[in-house]
Amino acid sequence: MFKKNCIAIIILMVVGVSCTKKESFDEKVLNVVVAAKVKGLDPVNAGDTYSSTEIARVYEGLLEYHYLKRPYELQPNLAESMPEVSEDGLTYTFKIKKGVMFHDNECFPNGKGRELKAQDFVYSIMRMADAKNISTGWWLLDDRIVGLNEWRDKYKGKSVDYDQKVEGLQALDDYTLQFKLKTPYPQFLYSLAMVYTYAVPREAVEKYGDEFLNNPVGTGAFMTGKYTQSNTIEYVKNPNYRDVFYPSEGSEADKKAGLLKDAGKKLPLVYKIKVVIQTEESTRWLSFENGNLDFSGIPKDNFANVVTPSAGLTEEYAKKGISIEVTPDLDITYMAFNHDDPLFKGNDKLKQAMSLGYNHDEANKLFYNGTAVLAQGIIPPGIGGYNENYKNPYKKYDVEAAKKKLAEAGYPGGKGLPTIKYETTSTTVSRQMSEFFAKNMKEIGINIEVVTNTWPQLTQKVKKRQAQMFGMAWLGDYPDAENFLQLLWGKNAAPGPNGSNFNDAEFNQKFAKAKNMQPGPERAKIYAELNQYASEKVPLILGVHRTTFVTKHSWFKNYKFSTFNHGHAKYYDIDLEKKEKMIKSGVLKESSKKPASVE
Amino acid sequence: MNDTTRYILRRVLYAIPVLLGVCLIIFILFNVAAADPAYTLAGKNATAEQLEEIREQLGLNKPMLAQYIDVVKSAFTFDFGKSWSTKQYISEMIIQGAIPSLTLTIPAFIIATFISIVFAVIVAYYRGKGIDLFIRVTCIAMMSISSLAYILFFQQILAADLGLFEIAGYEYGFPNFLYYVTLPIIIWVILSLGPDIRFYRTLILDEIYQDYVRTARAKGLSEKKILFKHVLRNSLIPITTYLVVQLPFLILGSLLLESFFSIPGLGGMIIAAINSSDFPVIKAMTVLSAVAYVIFTLIQDVIYTIVDPRVKLK
Repeated sequence: MFKKNCIAIIILMVVGVSCTKKESFDEKVLNVVVAAKVKGLDPVNAGDTYSSTEIARVYEGLLEYHYLKRPYELQPNLAESMPEVSEDGLTYTFKIKKGVMFHDNECFPNGKGRELKAQDFVYSIMRMADAKNISTGWWLLDDRIVGLNEWRDKYKGKSVDYDQKVEGLQALDDYTLQFKLKTPYPQFLYSLAMVYTYAVPREAVEKYGDEFLNNPVGTGAFMTGKYTQSNTIEYVKNPNYRDVFYPSEGSEADKKAGLLKDAGKKLPLVYKIKVVIQTEESTRWLSFENGNLDFSGIPKDNFANVVTPSAGLTEEYAKKGISIEVTPDLDITYMAFNHDDPLFKGNDKLKQAMSLGYNHDEANKLFYNGTAVLAQGIIPPGIGGYNENYKNPYKKYDVEAAKKKLAEAGYPGGKGLPTIKYETTSTTVSRQMSEFFAKNMKEIGINIEVVTNTWPQLTQKVKKRQAQMFGMAWLGDYPDAENFLQLLWGKNAAPGPNGSNFNDAEFNQKFAKAKNMQPGPERAKIYAELNQYASEKVPLILGVHRTTFVTKHSWFKNYKFSTFNHGHAKYYDIDLEKKEKMIKSGVLKESSKKPASVE
Repeated sequence: MNDTTRYILRRVLYAIPVLLGVCLIIFILFNVAAADPAYTLAGKNATAEQLEEIREQLGLNKPMLAQYIDVVKSAFTFDFGKSWSTKQYISEMIIQGAIPSLTLTIPAFIIATFISIVFAVIVAYYRGKGIDLFIRVTCIAMMSISSLAYILFFQQILAADLGLFEIAGYEYGFPNFLYYVTLPIIIWVILSLGPDIRFYRTLILDEIYQDYVRTARAKGLSEKKILFKHVLRNSLIPITTYLVVQLPFLILGSLLLESFFSIPGLGGMIIAAINSSDFPVIKAMTVLSAVAYVIFTLIQDVIYTIVDPRVKLK
């Protein structure tokens, strides 16, 4: 029997040993994970975070955010310099960098990439406007550029003529690009740092047709072959990448964190990027713990094992050389009231009562491990218009005050108030959050019926104004308070982003004025006023501004979190020697009880 | 034309109303019950005008009958068009996804079936004895544990801690895929053993109590000869039925295993299509499942005539 068992174990070992691949430490490979399927690599369809991050490894735009500076600051990327802006704020003239080459690809004569010209931006932006491409980014330029909407409408449902001149979008010569806007739009520059407006070569679009999204050809630091929609994407360094250098400007904190050590080095710093798609949190975490990924978020269930109450790293992980980066994100979570519903329209006291009756601190502890920032207003910290001294009077948890407000609203003890339907998605966390909200409301006498939906169902209900209340989150598209305040602008009511259908004349008037103003103290003051005004009208029960926790291995260098992580892989570096030492020593697999052998 | 050919032809003709019915169900589910995909595709900043444009382009504004005919046409021509979200030809996506799914499910299915039948024969042979009881109790214990627990446990212990297998991923081509599918195959086999052994044991025991077995014993045949020569052969009909019915589902892959082991199979493709309201992909997979089911049940009937000469197809 013993002999048989031994044979079985040996067979298992032989099979097992042959079932793992040997890791190579010969070249700098960045190992990255994404949590959802990447839909394709076409800039005009960069509608989700995962796809846009991947697209930005290959493609580039006129502008980008400085890698290290915070608050976020725009800088030229494919543009030679920041644009010349006319006095009336309507004309933007860009000079394009010379000598920027597209990746070598079959779409070009002899397979050699050609030089990027101003005309490529004209074409790329017209593609975004082309109705048949169903670009989810069209809202950025809708009704902004002179003649572009007319061009779009002219060719709707017909064969499109990309050679037709659009007055407000012209290449004056090979290296000069001019935009003419209909009205002042200070956020316009942010659009040019967004993936939707990145440059694509017309030859590639025409050669690959519908399959263009699987055959990316850009000017970026990395390039990839045909994207097969599998669970792995591999990028290699673009051998013809122009001279781009690691930034030498950064804060003291950046310097202390070693983020300026590579200042002045030519980018990119790694040879290859291997992106794996892993939808399960537990798989991602196991892969990270084993060194298969260079950095990772932390699953909710592992949070207490990894992060100390003071947001540091527990001893077990610190011993493995892992470090943690904690950064507030530019976002907001909220529970929205549908103001088309007569119950909420004009009944501020009812909404205020519900906000007072919600235990915000407890929710933060339960669902964000107490790490999120309670939202006092809709504008997140870190952008103009955020007032750190402002305390929202309806953000505190006060059951008695809530009951009093409810009585003032005409529903003493909840009497006469119908059951309110709260719509959410069917994920475990969403359901838990909804049940917590329902429990809180029950305490003040309000009955909540939680309705779970698939994401498409919830989207449809919100867009069709059928959801009485619903839970949602908004991640900033660009670092401007306008992007958050517009969630309450009457003109943006559903199917637009204002799913609460809040439509307040005073708010609308002030917002319409502020959104066209150039950045400055005057605009920041109006933003702050709007933020406070909206907070006290309670169109939404404000949730939190989430905090991002990223754990990194000791060999992974130069990482700095950014909400706008576009093309940042070119700054990352891998210390191969350290990686080999850490992995071969087995220290990553040691538990906290054993002493670590490599410090 | 012999009876079998006539029978097959008749069954193929029966498949037509079945497919029409499947198309009708798909059509009702997607056009009446499901959410309008335009809302998902338009993104968070949609305008009413954009929604209308999307509906127009996707053919969602066509009359209901025309939309139903489109579904029927794609089901009978197997031309499912392109995915709304990835813009790839669906046929290509299916081929690409079927390979990882099948490299996982076919070996797992064969190994699980073989081991289960062997164990079932052993427990049937020792029926009522200690070994029978032990295997039955073990089967029930194995079935009582959630499949998720097996996945998480083996992934942690065998892949992460012992480093015997890859934690997740997939590579096309032999032998590369073996690095990634071996552990999921082991888990599949373990998950299947409990229910399969119990099922095959019941089938074999059903046969053991038949009159012909008593006759064989009376004639003095050994228990082994009765079990392997007579009982097992007669059990083949229900075993075949059980196996063939499972085959179409192998193509669909394993949602959980594919998801946890990050295998780019059809299971994951279906989930991604549902999440992004990619109706053409969901329609294609539903139609293909129905066709596969019809084909495999037909194959099953033909196999009956091979394993049991008494069965005639008319």
